[in-house]
Amino acid sequence: MNVVESTRLALESIWANRLRSFLTLLGVIIGIAAIIATAAVIHGLNRYVAEKLSNLGKGVFTVQRFGLITNRQQFLEAIRRNRRLLPADARAIEARCPEAEVVAWETHATVDLKRLDQEIRDTDCGGITPAILEIEPYDLDQGRFLVPGDEDRAAPVVFLGADVAERLFPNVDPIGKDLRVGGQQLEVVGVAVKKGSFLGFSQDNYVKIPYGLHRKLFGTGRSINISVKAADDARMAEAMDAVRAVLRARHHLRPADEDDFSMVTAEGINDLWSRLTQTIFTVAMFVVGISLVVGGIVIMNIMLVSVVERTREIGVRKAVGARQGDIVQQFLIESVLLSCLGGAIGVLIAFAASTALAVHTPLPASFPAWAPAVSFLICTLIGVFFGIYPALRAARLDPIEALRSE
Amino acid sequence: MTSSREPAVATDEVIRTAGLTRSFPMGSTTVHALRGIDLVIRRNEYVAIMGPSGSGKSTLMNLIGCLDTPTSGEYWLDGQPVAQLQEQDLAQIRNREIGFVFQTFNLLPRASALRNVELPLIYGGVPPAERKHRAAEALEQVDLADRMDHRPNELSGGQRQRVSIARALVTRPALLLADEPTGNLDSKTSAEIMVLFDRLHAAGNTIVVVTHERDIAERSHRIVTLHDGMVSSDEPHRRSRQP
Repeated sequence: MNVVESTRLALESIWANRLRSFLTLLGVIIGIAAIIATAAVIHGLNRYVAEKLSNLGKGVFTVQRFGLITNRQQFLEAIRRNRRLLPADARAIEARCPEAEVVAWETHATVDLKRLDQEIRDTDCGGITPAILEIEPYDLDQGRFLVPGDEDRAAPVVFLGADVAERLFPNVDPIGKDLRVGGQQLEVVGVAVKKGSFLGFSQDNYVKIPYGLHRKLFGTGRSINISVKAADDARMAEAMDAVRAVLRARHHLRPADEDDFSMVTAEGINDLWSRLTQTIFTVAMFVVGISLVVGGIVIMNIMLVSVVERTREIGVRKAVGARQGDIVQQFLIESVLLSCLGGAIGVLIAFAASTALAVHTPLPASFPAWAPAVSFLICTLIGVFFGIYPALRAARLDPIEALRSE
Repeated sequence: MTSSREPAVATDEVIRTAGLTRSFPMGSTTVHALRGIDLVIRRNEYVAIMGPSGSGKSTLMNLIGCLDTPTSGEYWLDGQPVAQLQEQDLAQIRNREIGFVFQTFNLLPRASALRNVELPLIYGGVPPAERKHRAAEALEQVDLADRMDHRPNELSGGQRQRVSIARALVTRPALLLADEPTGNLDSKTSAEIMVLFDRLHAAGNTIVVVTHERDIAERSHRIVTLHDGMVSSDEPHRRSRQP
């Protein structure tokens, strides 16, 4: 008997028991929908991270006191060992590393902003050297960014993130207006283009002021993050080695000592991120895998029931000439179709869910293009794996016994 | 055909059995259902197999129908030795050589009459268009041309049995094997079915009917009676024309 005929029989049988078929498929539907929804969220996050979070460009790295720390032990170790990075470190790099084309730095403080009766508490205030613009460009919405002249004069000026501008200067042009940053009256010179939010956190809730001014207002003891752009993109590793050598010398480290600072590259951020999401993905797959196994067992169960219910039909088929292979094929195609039908419904649900997530929540979910094909493959495997035993049982029925059954 | 194998079989023999036995192990004992059956049925014979329950007639029917294989002995169906065949080949023999008619009709409930009749052709690998054509033809032979699209539950008992007869005929088998074909029918419908069997016999078919009803057996031309797994009588029957 050919596959077309078996498929037709299987569809007839699934349709004849549609409620039961649907209930049978719930496990697979939920499993597949969950896999793909998870994959969609992670896929979306990855794309987002690749596009936006690691806005370090090519040939750029930063030197930080703590860097990318993923566990408590590392953190305690780093607090004990790592020294604060100071402008003198940055200047030494500038002076002694020809491989570093641009050196800029930034430090952070948490401040309250105030204008008239409006106030925003706990906003990030970055103290930057304007050279940072050559490394991490900010898109300008209005006004201008901080310039070297501001830094030289420690001018009382401030550059705003889009959220700050929206909240403190609604319907007003903020350029040239005054803003109190941590108690100090500063003049607004520019506003950045809105970047949006990531995982519900606004990326536009900040102000930037010249580094010299930052020191004056918030103290000289804060560690800085040093951003370095290599002279040659392709030779970033050499630039990193040179910077490392300078800092180790300045910090009087012996050859056996570990670095007491850390270096972060865009790749490093992406690596850390993919390690993180891989872990999430693995755990999610494991949980979802269980639901697929349960789904498969349910399919096997219903196929066994179906074999018992259709014992006489199997007897008739055998009496009129069906071979064992024909019966195996018929039942196997039925279980595979059943499973793939569940997969298809699961994919549709996942598509709807990831679209809804992307629209209505901060999660940047994105439906992966490979999802339908992979689901089809998984479901076919489930159908075959859990369908083969019932199919063999059907095929091995003795026709005489089968015809006699009620 | 494998008629080159010995012993040479006359081509008009549809069934030849020699010393056919079948025993079933039942716990510690063995039940000897058939104890050596020698039987020859020729083309276009109309034979009834009778016997009380437990006489072995069902076992014999299963062997003749290639649903089972004998414990010992030989069986040639349409000249082919089939006693030693494996399930795979038996399925093919059943498909080509035998048309079954069951007491309980055994139609597939969700399929139309036409689909039911097509079933053996599906397993015979007949292409769809020819399948439909031949199934429709078979249904015409049993006067059900106007019921082709009805499902079994939309048909009367007699009509169902006629669908099942059409299914048995559709592969043009060497042998029509009917097991108590009127057992589930009232006497009027039974008579109609038996008239249909007469007609099929007149059209050249070889028919074996297994029954325990004397008046059904008497429609045939030869009655083979089994007793305790042996043939106790085998005589031609001059059938009366009255039902």
